[in-house]
Amino acid sequence: MIKNLKKMDKTILLLLILLIGFGIVFIYSASYNKAGNVITLKNFYLKQMFWAFIAISIFFMVVRLPLFFIESLILPMYILSLLLLVIVFFMPEINGSRRWILLGPLRFQPSEFAKVATVLLLAKSISEHNLDNWKIFLRGAAIVFFPLVLVLLEPDLGTSLIFMMMLFVMFLASDLPNFITILFLAPILSLICSFNWYILGFYLVGLSFYLYKNKLSSAFIGLIAVLNLFIAIFTPIMWNTLHSYQQDRILTFIDPMHDPLGAGYQIIQSKIAVGSGGIWGKGFLLGTQKNLNFIPEHHTDFIFSVIGEETGFVGSFLLLFLFMLLLIFIAKRTAEMNVPERKIASIGFIAILTFQILVNVGMNLGTIPTTGMALPFISYGGSNLIINVLSIALIEKFIIGED
Amino acid sequence: MFKKNTTFYYLLLGIVGVFLYLIFGLINLQILNKEKYKLIAENNFVRIKKKKPSRGEILDVNYKPIVTNIPSYNLYFVGSKIKDKEKFMQFVAENTALSKEEVKSILDKSRYHKYTGILLVENVPYEKMLIISENLNEFKSLFFKAESTRKYAYPNHFTGYTSKITEDLYRKLKSKGYSINDKIGLSGLEKYYEKILKGKVGYEIKQVDARGKNLHLFKYHLEKKPVNGDNLILTIDNDVQNIIRETFPKNMKGAVIIMDMKTGGLISYVSYPEIDPNIFMSPISTETWNSIILNPQKPMFDRVLKGRFPPASTFKPVIGLFGLENNIIERNTKLAECTGGLNVGNRYFKCWYSGGHGRLNIIDALSVSCDVYFYDLSLRIALDDISEFTKNCFLIDRTGIDLPKEVKGFIPDTKWYKKHYGKYVSILGQKVNLSIGQGEVLVTPLSLCAFYAAIGNDGVWKRPHLLKKIIGENFEREYVTETRELPASQKNIKIIQEGLHKVVYGKYGTAKRIRLKDVDIYAKTGSAENHKKITHAWLAGYAKFVNGKKIAFTVFVENGGHGGSTCVPIARDVLDFYKKKIIANMGQDKGKL
Repeated sequence: MIKNLKKMDKTILLLLILLIGFGIVFIYSASYNKAGNVITLKNFYLKQMFWAFIAISIFFMVVRLPLFFIESLILPMYILSLLLLVIVFFMPEINGSRRWILLGPLRFQPSEFAKVATVLLLAKSISEHNLDNWKIFLRGAAIVFFPLVLVLLEPDLGTSLIFMMMLFVMFLASDLPNFITILFLAPILSLICSFNWYILGFYLVGLSFYLYKNKLSSAFIGLIAVLNLFIAIFTPIMWNTLHSYQQDRILTFIDPMHDPLGAGYQIIQSKIAVGSGGIWGKGFLLGTQKNLNFIPEHHTDFIFSVIGEETGFVGSFLLLFLFMLLLIFIAKRTAEMNVPERKIASIGFIAILTFQILVNVGMNLGTIPTTGMALPFISYGGSNLIINVLSIALIEKFIIGED
Repeated sequence: MFKKNTTFYYLLLGIVGVFLYLIFGLINLQILNKEKYKLIAENNFVRIKKKKPSRGEILDVNYKPIVTNIPSYNLYFVGSKIKDKEKFMQFVAENTALSKEEVKSILDKSRYHKYTGILLVENVPYEKMLIISENLNEFKSLFFKAESTRKYAYPNHFTGYTSKITEDLYRKLKSKGYSINDKIGLSGLEKYYEKILKGKVGYEIKQVDARGKNLHLFKYHLEKKPVNGDNLILTIDNDVQNIIRETFPKNMKGAVIIMDMKTGGLISYVSYPEIDPNIFMSPISTETWNSIILNPQKPMFDRVLKGRFPPASTFKPVIGLFGLENNIIERNTKLAECTGGLNVGNRYFKCWYSGGHGRLNIIDALSVSCDVYFYDLSLRIALDDISEFTKNCFLIDRTGIDLPKEVKGFIPDTKWYKKHYGKYVSILGQKVNLSIGQGEVLVTPLSLCAFYAAIGNDGVWKRPHLLKKIIGENFEREYVTETRELPASQKNIKIIQEGLHKVVYGKYGTAKRIRLKDVDIYAKTGSAENHKKITHAWLAGYAKFVNGKKIAFTVFVENGGHGGSTCVPIARDVLDFYKKKIIANMGQDKGKL
């Protein structure tokens, strides 16, 4: 046991604890509100300290468990997570969606748990020896399909994007030739590119060239190009058949400024908060945007705006740098792993964490649409913190497991 | 697949790419544009100017106006700018219909909105506006806004009216986009269709500095046009509505409903005396208000929807239908002989005709409205069955018309009697009384009209309604009528129809004076006892016109005496007018061909 702990990557653990501490400090700031001479302090930071304690305890528990034991739990965990995702539909609606299981005062989000279970099962089943391409593809698609659909029905668009992202990256990391993954992604890109003919042209030429480099027959390449061209041609036609309010809804998702009092409001206010922080920030607890409550719920998805406003570029950069260091260290150790199953799982976790950071910070900076995604290790919330720490714990376990 | 030695390279590329993107965004906001965002955060901020939509209008079936928008000059004030409160109240009281106390109460109520303009007086008359305008230099807290107000074409009970939102309501509806000066439908159609009539508020968003200068900081011109409220087209026909309003005896109270039997749409909806909603569009003096609420005629009371009265003899078809449906009687079954009354137990129940009707079948019993026939019939029926059947004829529950605050009728059952009259009450006498629509049974004129329409439609009940369609900027939506079935067979309903026909065309029919050339009329009269005052007069029925049009009607006059003498002339005038209108229209159509 002690031997195990010695093999653990201490840098990763240290960075993890630093990030969680960073989060608690700014949840304290977000809980603190000063308007005029009236100061109010909510207890979010105390709750988060409690969750951090639980999360770290789970970390050390997982690291001590035997690997074979963890591996035997993968399939039961996946099935359990699907069950929990179904139970969610029988729970009361909160803010227009059913994402939580309520147990007295506790709220638990099963989709968080499902992310970990799906990564592990996916990694295990697409990394078996001697699988042909079709088997890899079908297994991967099937495993992601169920949680993805359940999460979409909640509805929780942000988390369902994570599932798609996870599948895409883990396919790339598997034995499946990359061009198949690219083909799988191509129609979505065609759809996006269809709004500009030049970009579409470049894209289709690039796609064909890529397939040619992968030594595919010219007939096949032609077929793919024509199919994607059709998608691109039909997209604007479909678009025009939508009602204007449906178009509005989609446009508002892509660009929240279409609805400046609704979806765009938080983003405008968050941009003002971050931008007005300048280089050095307004000082801890002193954010005016925060204190005047321009951003609702700034202890959860918009915590980065508080950090940006109060610590400025220096603090925000430091936070992003810590994140980057953590991910690079994990990536380095992942590359050294020899067991394909663990390596692919680890890459899946890296993808999830990176994607969450990208979407959350991008949203706070106003460059990515609002989808309701938490900032890993920093945002207030027990389920998210525990699950993200659990994924790091599993990676540590894989590192220890390498002999 | 990642080659072993390239895995790290690919991962690094992805991770560093993501972070470069984010750091670039950070640099853009916090270094390149920091001055801009600091300025917004400090001076701020976002000014939102609301743009009011215009409220949907309400038109009759021929697109003639019922409720329209007209321009109005409204007087506003800003609380924080009032210098001398006493002088302010004095000035306003002198120049508007508000009293000094009323001004004070508005000031008090709006004390939490010191910096926004608060509506003080709506619809200031032009001459008064000139006088006030000359003094605006002295009273900087006052200003005028040219807005619009509602104009109601005639006094009535179904349109309801709008009013300035109350403080309580405002707090509740704030999240739905209402602002403190908004008007909201408080009753009638204005309330029921509030969501549709209201429209959506537009806005313009500017990022302004402390002096109000637009900084043009965001890439879009943030503006959203208001969406005007949708218009309502009603089934009401203003011509018919107005004829009834003229025909209805002055100084009387009552209700007249005309319903299109094909759709359930109401062609007229009159409750008398009427109230003019226009008086609520500007401040009401205490005198006017008192004259309305202290009036013994209760002009604010909508008798069509909220009046509950014993149906009297108009209830007999229900009992008759029940008897037929349960094989207690057949078309030709004759019941006890009417000798001017009937002994039940130790009580003697009188028929309205003391001379006696002799032995009758259901057709003739309806025609002459013989009470004894129905007394005898009721003796063969259980009270709770009558009660149940009446409910199933949709006479007791709300009809579900598109108006707020409809009331339910009432019919007692054994349980109710025991509860209210003690365990050992004799139900028998109560039941006999109920059989002629007297006693505790109560219906609304509207539910009775819907029932007679259903009889005329061979048992198909249609939900009464006022809305024909909604017309929006680029859509039209028709009202879809819900239909239900009366709990009776066609054969038996036809027998009741025959009886109603004979009420008009029989030798001794109680409504024979309603007869009109070219109109086929089915009806039933009634006179409801009430606390020994003059009886309430009823007439309910339906009529078929030469062009196939079928309408149901209910005429009710509170303390009006007898249906045959009071209601029949009113109904006859209305039907005559309607007939002429149909003939005129047919002539027009021929002319077009």
